[in-house]
Amino acid sequence: MVPLADKRKLTSQFVRSKIRLVKIWLMFASRAAQSQLLTSWSGVLFLFGKLVRFFLYFVFLFTIMSSTKTLVGYNREQVVIFYLIFNLVEITSQCLFRGVYQFRSLVVSGDFDFELLRPLPSFFRPLFGWTDILDLITLPPLWAYFFWFISNNLPPVVLSNLILFLLLFGNSILIAFSFHLFFSSVSILTTQIDPLVWTYRDLTTMARFPTDIYQKTIQLILTFIVPVVVLITIPAKALFGLLSWRWIVLSFLLGIVFLRFSVSFWQYSLKRYSSASS
Amino acid sequence: MSKYLQIIRITFQEYFEYRLNFVMWRFRNLISFLTLIIFWLAIYGEKDKILDYQRSQLLTYVIGVAFLRGIVLASRSVDLAGQIRSGELTKLLLQPLKIFNFWFIRDLTDKALNIFFATIEIIIVSKIVNFSLVLPKNSTDFVIFVVLVILSTLLYFYLSFFISVLAFWTEDVWATRWLLGIVLLELFAGAYFPIDILPSWLVRIIYWTPFPYLVFFPLKIWLGQASINMSIKIILISFCWLIFFFVLASVLWKKGVKNYGAFGG
Repeated sequence: MVPLADKRKLTSQFVRSKIRLVKIWLMFASRAAQSQLLTSWSGVLFLFGKLVRFFLYFVFLFTIMSSTKTLVGYNREQVVIFYLIFNLVEITSQCLFRGVYQFRSLVVSGDFDFELLRPLPSFFRPLFGWTDILDLITLPPLWAYFFWFISNNLPPVVLSNLILFLLLFGNSILIAFSFHLFFSSVSILTTQIDPLVWTYRDLTTMARFPTDIYQKTIQLILTFIVPVVVLITIPAKALFGLLSWRWIVLSFLLGIVFLRFSVSFWQYSLKRYSSASS
Repeated sequence: MSKYLQIIRITFQEYFEYRLNFVMWRFRNLISFLTLIIFWLAIYGEKDKILDYQRSQLLTYVIGVAFLRGIVLASRSVDLAGQIRSGELTKLLLQPLKIFNFWFIRDLTDKALNIFFATIEIIIVSKIVNFSLVLPKNSTDFVIFVVLVILSTLLYFYLSFFISVLAFWTEDVWATRWLLGIVLLELFAGAYFPIDILPSWLVRIIYWTPFPYLVFFPLKIWLGQASINMSIKIILISFCWLIFFFVLASVLWKKGVKNYGAFGG
């Protein structure tokens, strides 16, 4: 039995270490923002492109759903919510884990050696080392619009469904983290990362629409191998109150399994890191 | 002539050296293609006609997009921007090559590979989906389609070249490429869905850009949804856009090369 005072001390140490990591992440994010603002014209073009893409898909879905009324049993508003949740998951994970796009150069140059010497978790720099400020600034208005949309276009959402949705959204980010950690591990072993990340991103776009449209085999792949169903469809269904307890348990279970696997694989790949350029 | 054959050979070799990248690239195309097909099948359900498109017409449109991506939108001239910024362009400038020919030959090689794989993917998906492909109603439509595809291919080459040449003056060329050459191109060209299903005010804006002439209008002609007068108008406008981007790319290239400082070299 650990004495109560020791337990409190351990908890306080744990909380302090997490707060420290958040502070370091904020520092990284601030530096990334400064760097991105240096080329402000690029920022304007990227932001404009993101808005145009979001808007055009939105108009497309709205137009097509106004004509057909339902898609595999979902009405127009529900299909739009699937699209909004897809954007929330995609933008949040891209904003947080943008560092993976730069990780290859750290590995190839051998500069990852210096990162491993720092008193930080080894995965911190590869994943959180770069924050996309453009994604970050699009998130608050997107969340605001999402809540406005569900409050105006859905029957009153039950509080428990909303809480479950937020928990499953957190689970989605955890799975996204696991995948990005897996890509970083592959990058250490093969010095390749871009094709994998882009394939993953293309696969997630399959959940831009309700994944119920796909055949059973594809749905199984999208649930257990690249779980975009768990990333996007499940949180949306939780919001609509359409989720059975089995799916809730399975989703969290998959989150834990993917996290465990990716952490183990990361440790395995770290043992094989050979400081390529030195 | 032989030097251009060498360029084709080298471009092929580059692909075979980075086989995994190419396989992943085709896999991504297949995902995008499959997603669209399945989405439209779900949208149609038991219905046969939605927003002026019959089921077979829309599926033909999606298959046409997969094919035209290979012919029109596949390109290697995007690499030019990187060469300008890194200074690698110097090597090219010292060689007895016409720069436009060099990149166009590389583009054609890229297109040949992409068309080959796109055709295989289309055959596989068509077998799975099982539907009847809509063919042009008459030989005139087919000829106009072919003419427009040739114009679109050249238009995209000069448009892409123009974006790459901007690298002489700006470091932000990736942002410009992303906006003009990826987001606006794919959405406004009709590479995801036919543009004319969008609200009419938005369609009018998109028609003022060069993008619909790359994919959307050729497929409208293939589907027999453009009258002969309309088709001629489309060809003329497409030709005007081609001249515009040809002049723009040529002028900017000449100016850029004069100021070129081989930054990274």
